[in-house]
Amino acid sequence: MSSIVPAFTWLEGLAWTTALRESPYGYPLIETAHVASIVVFAGLVIMMDLRLVGLAFMPAPLAQIQRRLFPWQMATFVPSTVTGILLFCVDPLRYYRNVLFLAKLAFLVLAGLNALVFHLKTYRRAEGWGEDPQVMAMARLAGVASLLLWSLTIVSGRLIPNNWFK
Amino acid sequence: MRTHIFLMLLVAGALCVVQPAQAHHAFAAEYDPAKPLTLNGVITKVDWENPHGWLHMDVKDPKGTVQHWTIETAAPSQMSRHGLKKADFVEGMTAVVKGYKSKKDPVLANGRTLVFKDGRTFYIGSVGGPNDGAEPH
Repeated sequence: MSSIVPAFTWLEGLAWTTALRESPYGYPLIETAHVASIVVFAGLVIMMDLRLVGLAFMPAPLAQIQRRLFPWQMATFVPSTVTGILLFCVDPLRYYRNVLFLAKLAFLVLAGLNALVFHLKTYRRAEGWGEDPQVMAMARLAGVASLLLWSLTIVSGRLIPNNWFK
Repeated sequence: MRTHIFLMLLVAGALCVVQPAQAHHAFAAEYDPAKPLTLNGVITKVDWENPHGWLHMDVKDPKGTVQHWTIETAAPSQMSRHGLKKADFVEGMTAVVKGYKSKKDPVLANGRTLVFKDGRTFYIGSVGGPNDGAEPH
């Protein structure tokens, strides 16, 4: 794994990463955009999850909720990811050595996999079968997992600056 | 419906209460407000960077041994606001820094005021430190 250190050192030394690291406005603006897009994205994901779990929007069919929320979820996920990558590039070595950052990445991947499995398996069946109880049980599980994994992603992300495991 | 709006307002109000102005990380998470210190030494390096900067200083302890201190400063934008520039720092210049010790790291501190050899004084503290009067109004 240490073979990645020279690559990160190179990245850190580039003109644009250095400029951003030392910038009076650029960095705080990107940081703000990162948090703001995460907030909206998380809110949209929670809306979907609550429907999956069966706590909200129950009169509306699952497919309808999904169709309406999905474009907005993507429209906020993309800027949150782009700004996140930019923030990482500004100080890659510090993040690479931060356990909470690595935990955030791991939770992010798991949350992504959960969403992928839901979209490729459960959701397709839900559309074809209607609200079949067996499919709905899987949907509920996907909703619970999503709520849990995105919460863990956000909490560990927020704790990155409080790196207790130096 | 009315209950819902009431609950939402309640939650919003609660969030406002538990969200005080905070820096990158809370001062209390890393530094001890009960351990103020003054460092008199040579500036070896300045990391003028976000989300907050770092001053590196060589300071002689009472026995004469040189210790390499790291001092956390505010972000570039905050220090600029108090009149400090990256170009003000010259490697090898002497300076006096007042701040607070880290809770764990013996050579880490949170900087509050910086005094150059020519007497120019700057506030370099980040948001959320102790209310010790170091921050200019």
